[in-house]
Amino acid sequence: MKKECIAMLLAGGQGSRLYVLTGDMAKPAVPFGGKYRIIDFPLSNCTNSGIDTVGVLTQYRPLELNSYIGSGQPWDLDGSTGGVHILPPYQSSKGGTWFKGTANAIYQNIGFIDMYAPEYVVILSGDHIYKMDYSDMLARHKAANAACTISVMEVPWAEAPRFGIMSVNSEDMITEFAEKPKEPKSNLASMGIYVFSWKALRQYLIDDENTEDSENDFGKNIIPNMLAKQERMAAYRFEGYWKDVGTLESLWDANMDMLAPESGLDLRDQSWPIYARSVNAPPAFLGGSSVVTHSAVNRGSVLEGMVENSVLSPNVTVGEGAAVRYSVLFPGVQVAPGAVVEYAILGEGCKVGPGCHVGGTPENTPSGWGLTVLAPGCQLPEGRNVNAGVMLNRNGEEVSK
Amino acid sequence: MNGLHGIIFAYERRGNLQELGAIRSSASIPFGGRFRAVDFALSSLVNAGATDVGIVLHGHYQSLLDHLGTGKDWDLSRKRGGLRLLPPFNYKGDWGAMPYRGHMEALAAVRTYLEEIRQDYVVMIDGDLVANLPLGEVYEAHVRAGADITVICANDSFMTEDGTYFQVGEGGRVNEVFVHPHTPRGLRGLGTYLVSKKLLLELVDDCAAKDQISWRSDVLQAKRDDLHIQSYVWKGYAAQIRSVQEYYDRSMQLLDPAIRADLFCAQRPVRAKNADLSSTYVGSNGKCINSLVGDGCSIEGVVENSILFPGVTVEAGAVVRNCVVFKETVIRKDAQLSYIIADKDVEVLPGRTLMGHATYPIVLAKGSKI
Repeated sequence: MKKECIAMLLAGGQGSRLYVLTGDMAKPAVPFGGKYRIIDFPLSNCTNSGIDTVGVLTQYRPLELNSYIGSGQPWDLDGSTGGVHILPPYQSSKGGTWFKGTANAIYQNIGFIDMYAPEYVVILSGDHIYKMDYSDMLARHKAANAACTISVMEVPWAEAPRFGIMSVNSEDMITEFAEKPKEPKSNLASMGIYVFSWKALRQYLIDDENTEDSENDFGKNIIPNMLAKQERMAAYRFEGYWKDVGTLESLWDANMDMLAPESGLDLRDQSWPIYARSVNAPPAFLGGSSVVTHSAVNRGSVLEGMVENSVLSPNVTVGEGAAVRYSVLFPGVQVAPGAVVEYAILGEGCKVGPGCHVGGTPENTPSGWGLTVLAPGCQLPEGRNVNAGVMLNRNGEEVSK
Repeated sequence: MNGLHGIIFAYERRGNLQELGAIRSSASIPFGGRFRAVDFALSSLVNAGATDVGIVLHGHYQSLLDHLGTGKDWDLSRKRGGLRLLPPFNYKGDWGAMPYRGHMEALAAVRTYLEEIRQDYVVMIDGDLVANLPLGEVYEAHVRAGADITVICANDSFMTEDGTYFQVGEGGRVNEVFVHPHTPRGLRGLGTYLVSKKLLLELVDDCAAKDQISWRSDVLQAKRDDLHIQSYVWKGYAAQIRSVQEYYDRSMQLLDPAIRADLFCAQRPVRAKNADLSSTYVGSNGKCINSLVGDGCSIEGVVENSILFPGVTVEAGAVVRNCVVFKETVIRKDAQLSYIIADKDVEVLPGRTLMGHATYPIVLAKGSKI
């Protein structure tokens, strides 16, 4: 079945900078914003942009992600001629390997893409929070008659050295690309979202695979090679909210942004809905002694204590006299009466015992402040204190970041 | 084959639901901050392993059809069986003139459907019943007792509109049936019956031949001595949504954790259609206590002892007390509401004050602007 455009979603990242938080799941399956998982954003963007065929490249600990995606029905990606497909590495008669890099992951699935004989392929990343109309980006790609279009956004000059930086000419065609430059020539940062003309990309992938000592990476190999060969490379300027949530701090930041639509991340805007596989639970109950302010709450939760500036996923309980401040609680977290949780991210199913104190405010932490993180399934016995910046694994043992 | 087949009656109109019932069948009335009444019947059936469910409709079913869709939210979108909507395709009367006058008339109208039921047993449920019933246990009790018909009753004699009450003798056998009595006697019937497909077809044909239309008087009452009618007493929460007062009182009971624990027990999850809304947000100056809150609400004002459905907005300075507020309704700045049932898409303009009373909750019709 021929398609004009399909999307390939790179979801194989190990999520090592989220440390214990990923537990047994791949990074894109990490909960976000109370009701979502990170992967809901690219998948919903696809469906809202009219892309009905998506390949999801998985590699590390894919079970939770696979069962979350299922048939793709929550995102309307269960059509009879396309839909969402999970693509793990596989063995062929010539043997098989893990995906060596982002480009190699696509290379190994050339067969899948060829089944749809698309004109264009959108390459997406599984760890970004943003709302983007890919059909608009595709229109830019066609208008520029480009082989590759890269979405870019302006970042503050001071932060430019952390990104892949694009220099462009007067027509917004890319003239130069520098990965994390010490002295950036531009402040247009690549967002890791690409549209390729499939015919061109296909050849570059094959050539790259045949190049020894290539890292088989889009940013490091494919894009520089295309530039060197003077392919037409267009920049697509994106304005709006975009955040890479690959680190604990950025994940926490993005959750806090969700509480304040002024940040640009307005999830209540129904013109561009973000879909999610939802859980069956009754509505949230906010009890008679609860004090909930500037916070997000979700179904199945029972709150009796204080919740401030926090994002709570479904089925969370906060007992009487407990306080949760500036924290992100994943599904099924239980905070017992009298416990305090501050500046923390609590993984799925954590249980914080009565009177525990988890995390601390930057003001009360003289040195070495950081977010406190509990791995999924971690259980804290009554009265345990966990200092600011500490990370515990599921057995409650301290691990270093 | 073994297993249960479900038939849900959603054709009845209840005048005492006022505007809440004027635009929808009582089976699709919103309940509990997220659900529609019919979700409870569907979930009870699905949780007992039923894979085929027919829904008997007759007029005012647009809202119900929107809610049910293909049935996939209850896993009832199947290649074989699954959800079947049963509009009056065999109805002999004038089109749209009158709803069915009784269950037997309704069943006769869908007789071709009944013949094709694959399962040996049929559970018939009123669409306006809100209860999380263990139908698997009811089935076992039915077989154990060797009964012809099992009727499910609540363990009380509460007055309900157009109620059915059963006097039960030794061993749980029903020996008297009261239909629509002025003073309730015996156990309150929940409009839920278990019967074999074979017997049901015989009864439908027998009644049709005699021009009889009522399940309650022409079958249960008339044949109580010929048939073994057994009772199954359900001790949990069971609400029949047939009047505004009943709707209000039963809704407010959900603020009691024990009642929620019973109705939303983990072993038998209640499934409902999913709206794609974000998390609910309570603002910096918002206050929300002792309330059930659906997804996607935005609360900047005060909400107390209330039930909010998804997507409700309560602006700063507004006060909502002892209210039930349906989907997407907006309470503007400084408005004050107490003892109000606001239907979908209502807008209460800034500064308005509306007050009902616990014994007289006021209904705001769908889409109204106050």
